[in-house]
Amino acid sequence: MNHKSKEMLKSIGFTGLLTIYAIFAIFPLFWLILLTFKSDAQMFNTTFVFTPTLENYRIVILQGTDYVKAFINNIIVSGGAVLLSLLVGVPGAYALARYNFSKKEDLAFTILSFRFAPEILVILPLFMIYQKIGLYDTYFGLIWVYQLITLPLLIWVLRGYFEDISVEVEQAANLDGYSWYQVFFKILLPLIKPGLVASALLAFIFAWNNFTFPLLLSGFQIETVTVAALRYIGSDTVHYGQMAVAAAVAALPEVVLALIIQKHLVRGLSFGAVKG
Amino acid sequence: MAKIDLVNVTKRFNKTVALDGIDLTIHDKEFFVLFGPAGAGKTTLLKVIAGVEFPEVGEVRISDENVNLVEPAKRNISMVFENYALYPHMNIFDNIASPMRSPLYKKDEATIKREVHKVASMMKIDHLLERLPSQVSNGQRQRTALGRALVRDPNVFLMDEPIAHLDAKLRHVMRAELKEMQHEFSTTTIYVTHDYLEALSLGDRVGIINEGKIVQIGTGEEVYLTPANEFVARLMGDPEINIFEIDLVDEDGVLGGVMLGQKKPHLIPEDVAKVINDGGYTKIRIGLRGNDFNYSFTKVSPEYMDATVYSVEPIGNKTILVVDVNGEKLRVIAPNDIKVELDQPIYVNVKMDKAMFFNAEDGNFIIRHNQKQLLEVD
Repeated sequence: MNHKSKEMLKSIGFTGLLTIYAIFAIFPLFWLILLTFKSDAQMFNTTFVFTPTLENYRIVILQGTDYVKAFINNIIVSGGAVLLSLLVGVPGAYALARYNFSKKEDLAFTILSFRFAPEILVILPLFMIYQKIGLYDTYFGLIWVYQLITLPLLIWVLRGYFEDISVEVEQAANLDGYSWYQVFFKILLPLIKPGLVASALLAFIFAWNNFTFPLLLSGFQIETVTVAALRYIGSDTVHYGQMAVAAAVAALPEVVLALIIQKHLVRGLSFGAVKG
Repeated sequence: MAKIDLVNVTKRFNKTVALDGIDLTIHDKEFFVLFGPAGAGKTTLLKVIAGVEFPEVGEVRISDENVNLVEPAKRNISMVFENYALYPHMNIFDNIASPMRSPLYKKDEATIKREVHKVASMMKIDHLLERLPSQVSNGQRQRTALGRALVRDPNVFLMDEPIAHLDAKLRHVMRAELKEMQHEFSTTTIYVTHDYLEALSLGDRVGIINEGKIVQIGTGEEVYLTPANEFVARLMGDPEINIFEIDLVDEDGVLGGVMLGQKKPHLIPEDVAKVINDGGYTKIRIGLRGNDFNYSFTKVSPEYMDATVYSVEPIGNKTILVVDVNGEKLRVIAPNDIKVELDQPIYVNVKMDKAMFFNAEDGNFIIRHNQKQLLEVD
């Protein structure tokens, strides 16, 4: 067996494995899309052959404004949470990367620890506090509690990016005649962009998909899609078709965002700035 | 066009003292070389002058004006960083153009283009202007950094080992070019290096710094011929200076030194002897550079000491012989055509008129023969 055919065999093997994995990963999504086109009557007695119907879409999107409202709420809450995190997290990450202050590592670790506390564990005290100070069932209340999800991620990713930029690069720009803000926007921001985009996208997805917080910390005023999807569980039956539509539509913004942002997710720009 | 004064500047990083009460004046239009071993505080000193690091104590004055509270951007100082500090997302052209595009030192695009090309061709990187820093070699990055500093017309140039990473040949060319350039611009320049050749050839004055303290300031001749202490003597010159103890003997009012286990003392020059006697020094060490020895393969006079060849290191235009005299290894410079075997007997004699005399107790320089006349030459 010569070298070339060995290579080919290898690539066939890899492709095969990847294909199997892709099928494994994509099949649930495919199944979900199939469900959206099935009527309740055909839900359980057909697999791939059925009469497709758009009825589920009509009911979810057009009949009653609840779902659309929840969708918009979700955009406001998740988008707001990510924006707030960016506003706080970028300077926070910069400070953790650049400045030395006492208990710096403890603070960084505390921020990270928000991520590994189970939500269900903290939700009860939070619920009581929110009721008391009037944040229950408000946009800001949810945006605030979402910081537990979005902020640690952003800070920790961006801190690494800031640390990768040599402090001399900033100092050089400073000496070139740029003020700190100009240095930040002209030099630092372009360099952390890949990390910023990736972590903001991930943070958005985590916030968007969150279920526990909006379920318990908001009532009827502000309902997110994850909670709204529960409505299709009736007292007598579960409307799997409508639920599937709700889930499929809810996944759309994430897919679209990921596709738009893909080209910004390039790494490697920061190499070669300083002596290696 | 600026004079720089540092008054009692102290800088700490946590518990380590980087700069320890530095007092230093750098004259207008001077080419001042800061020279010292790694970790001595050279870079920190530059950064304090640039304003990107803040001294805990002390004052930085530029043109007699206290600039402690002046932002680095407004000091009009141009600095070459040792690790280049290029902007990775900008190509070489934009990197060099950066100072001329900043709000403070703005120039129109036509000027920028002309100046960048001028500097780039001087640095021999004009064919690389479209590339990113990651796509050029280390030497080319360093020249880009140098170009970015030289494209401006600042008060002060600060250069932190700006040519350390160039290949040897280019380094020599650049060294000459830098000197020429400084002469032309006549801008105050502070130049950091750990290469003693650069220090001696470039600087109007050389400042030697160690552990955050200025050890000696002087012209190249001064620091080479009359180093303030043994530390400075060891820094300057290659191979390293030989320093060893001698025992003083007074024979009928004539001072001599017994060295390296010999019986007969070597005569100490009269002017030196006077200073030693007057100062009441008892423990003396002498320093001799590699070419302050005579050597021979036959015992030409009783003064020549018996020795053996310990190692031979040919380095192009010369050969460094390490000879063993009673356990003391001496580094001696010999011509490159010398034929010598290891462990071969050899006889060496010291040129006492070239020796530097140090106080063995604190390592400080005392005197050398003809000191006044030597330094008056320039």
